[in-house]
Amino acid sequence: MTTAGTRNVAQVLLKHEIEEFLYHEAELLDERRFAEWLELLTDDIRYWMPMRRNVKFGELEREFTREGQDINWFDEGKATLERRVSQILTGVHWAEEPLSRICHMVSNVQLLEASPSAEEAAEVALKCRFYIYRNRVETETDHLIGKREDTLRKENGGWKIAQRKIILDQNVLLAKNLTFFF
Amino acid sequence: MAEVINLITIAEGARISTINGATAEVVNNPKDGVWVFAKYLTSPEDPDLVGSEDMIFAQDIAEVLT
Amino acid sequence: MSNSHANGSHRANGHSIADMVDLASGTVSREIFVNEDIYAQEQEQLFARAWLFVGHESQIPKPGDFFVSCMGEESVILCRDRESQIHVFLNSCTHRGMKVCRYDEGNTPVFSCPYHGWSFATDGKLAGVPYFKDAYKGELDKSQWGLIEVPQLRNYKGTVWATWDKDAPSFEEYLGGYRTYLDFLLDTWDGAGGETEVFGGIEKWVIPCNWKFPSENFVGDRYHNISHRSVDLVGAGPSGSGRRDTQERVGATALDFSFPERGHGTISFLRPNDGPIPSYQHSKIVSDYFAHCENERRKNYGKWSRFIPGPGTVFPNFSYLPRQPRTIAVWHPRSPESHEAWRWFLVDKNAPAEVKEFLRKYYISYSGPAGLTEQDDMENWNYAHNASRGAIARRYPYNYQMGMGHDAPSFDADGLELPGLVRNVTVAKAAEQNQRGFYSRWADFLRASNWDELASWRNGHSNGAKFHNGAAARAGSAL
Ligand code: FES
Ligand SMILES: [Fe+2]
Repeated sequence: MTTAGTRNVAQVLLKHEIEEFLYHEAELLDERRFAEWLELLTDDIRYWMPMRRNVKFGELEREFTREGQDINWFDEGKATLERRVSQILTGVHWAEEPLSRICHMVSNVQLLEASPSAEEAAEVALKCRFYIYRNRVETETDHLIGKREDTLRKENGGWKIAQRKIILDQNVLLAKNLTFFF
Repeated sequence: MAEVINLITIAEGARISTINGATAEVVNNPKDGVWVFAKYLTSPEDPDLVGSEDMIFAQDIAEVLT
Repeated sequence: MSNSHANGSHRANGHSIADMVDLASGTVSREIFVNEDIYAQEQEQLFARAWLFVGHESQIPKPGDFFVSCMGEESVILCRDRESQIHVFLNSCTHRGMKVCRYDEGNTPVFSCPYHGWSFATDGKLAGVPYFKDAYKGELDKSQWGLIEVPQLRNYKGTVWATWDKDAPSFEEYLGGYRTYLDFLLDTWDGAGGETEVFGGIEKWVIPCNWKFPSENFVGDRYHNISHRSVDLVGAGPSGSGRRDTQERVGATALDFSFPERGHGTISFLRPNDGPIPSYQHSKIVSDYFAHCENERRKNYGKWSRFIPGPGTVFPNFSYLPRQPRTIAVWHPRSPESHEAWRWFLVDKNAPAEVKEFLRKYYISYSGPAGLTEQDDMENWNYAHNASRGAIARRYPYNYQMGMGHDAPSFDADGLELPGLVRNVTVAKAAEQNQRGFYSRWADFLRASNWDELASWRNGHSNGAKFHNGAAARAGSAL
């Protein structure tokens, strides 16, 4: 096999591995295994979901609220995410009591970068699409669709999420709350 | 038929001609694709316009000269 | 309104307003939350006449800056013209109605309509009309067809308010004595009179319930603490526990303030006259800053520094938290069943960067759709509304009787002039005086045919007087 061929195989294998990881993550969330999900996050995770403005052509740099400067839907680290999980697990977080039925779909996975290499990847940047279906109580239903930009890092032999940027394709948020994870 | 001009692409300072045969210099482009603010340089049909500043509508613009 | 005076009594959709808002028995009909016709009357009688919050001056600092906001159901443009004058326009072309601005914010010399091309300057004037000479023969009176502008606008301490009613009293008169309490939201933390600004990014989201649920909640619902049990358990406050720093409330007198003749209401705590209370203990820079502000506050506010402001609502749909977090919400009606919540977050302009950063994060995690606290409010409002829609449910009114008919214990205001109906709820823990005041005013708006009737305080007999113990009710009203 050529060197290029080896590299291609390594990329395919890595992509497969990353996809498996993302599906596993979705599985944990949908099965409400929140404590296990938290273990997939690095201690220094950045979890950011900007709001989106309608702006004029040529001014698209103002479309998203800025991380670390503006009000965002989410702009936080692990401590707040842990608190969100603890809140759900109190059993008296009325917005999630009874628990919502949630289904995470992940697709269009694109590996953007693997460093130092696909063969020995220790960090991976990827883009994907998400479709989160939430149904709660009786007929209350939300569909949240958008893009995600993740950075995964290998820690102790396993992948962890080090950065997540969530781009929801909505302006006015059509869901009454964001009690779930993207 | 004259080419359809996208007003958004007209730079400030550019010279334009109108369908009435006037020429004008763009002084401010709001980049809404509908109007530009321009100063008349020549206006054979209405010489009083020369030197005045006005809004010129997209469909009244014939050509971008520079 | 067409049917409100049909037979001399005030009726909405066949229901008498007096029956629906029955202050003698302390009940409010569910109809006013779920009924389509009453909703339509609110748009005419209330939202077209009241003073409404449009935005913050710091959102439009430069000439040409604009922010698209709402007044009730309607889209409006808040903008600063070339002369730096602030305007509020209906966001609808005067030719055939097209929304002239579909951007959320930006800077522009003109608003050009994408339908036929009419173009409006930032002062609202109709500046460009395609084929003005050829098609209109130059005869169109452009001066009559500018953007529709609010007849009254007021920039109050950086907050921009407007009303569609030219006969409405001035904004200050509309506030009345409530101004004292609103100032605690709008003045800088140290009380030194500096400027405040809003963070970039206005939260906008849809809440499936009538807009009055959040308005009455913020007007002074001390009773709903159990809603927030989960956040109190996990702790999200600026010192790590609870949802706020509550040390400052220890030993304080809990006071509710209602303005039934105006509809506004707020709750507060009056602290004992001792030293500053540690707060914002998350980081030293932040806690030092707040300690500094508290000290300044003592100097600048004197006796008023004992006053710890709490949530409030300026009638009808402007609600706020003045302290922790510091935020403004407007509940824009969309239908009887749903409203759009918009939330601005305020900060002192000259606060250190570290403090702004800390507050920004605290604000996001407290309020709005991702806020650990507000999420549970919305669930309650959502399903309260949901369960009130049925033909049977509508027959049974909501209960607002808490504290009715009982005088509250008097307290020592230590010489502070506290405007409004003041109710000491330190022992009672909660009362529904403020909600009764809110709905009393709501009923006034649905009944009244003009501002002469609505400005009842001018002729000395407040509408509130009929259900509280009159002017003597300073420290212990029975409302
Ligand atoms: S609707 Fe605006 S120009 Fe006709
Ligand atoms: Fe609440």
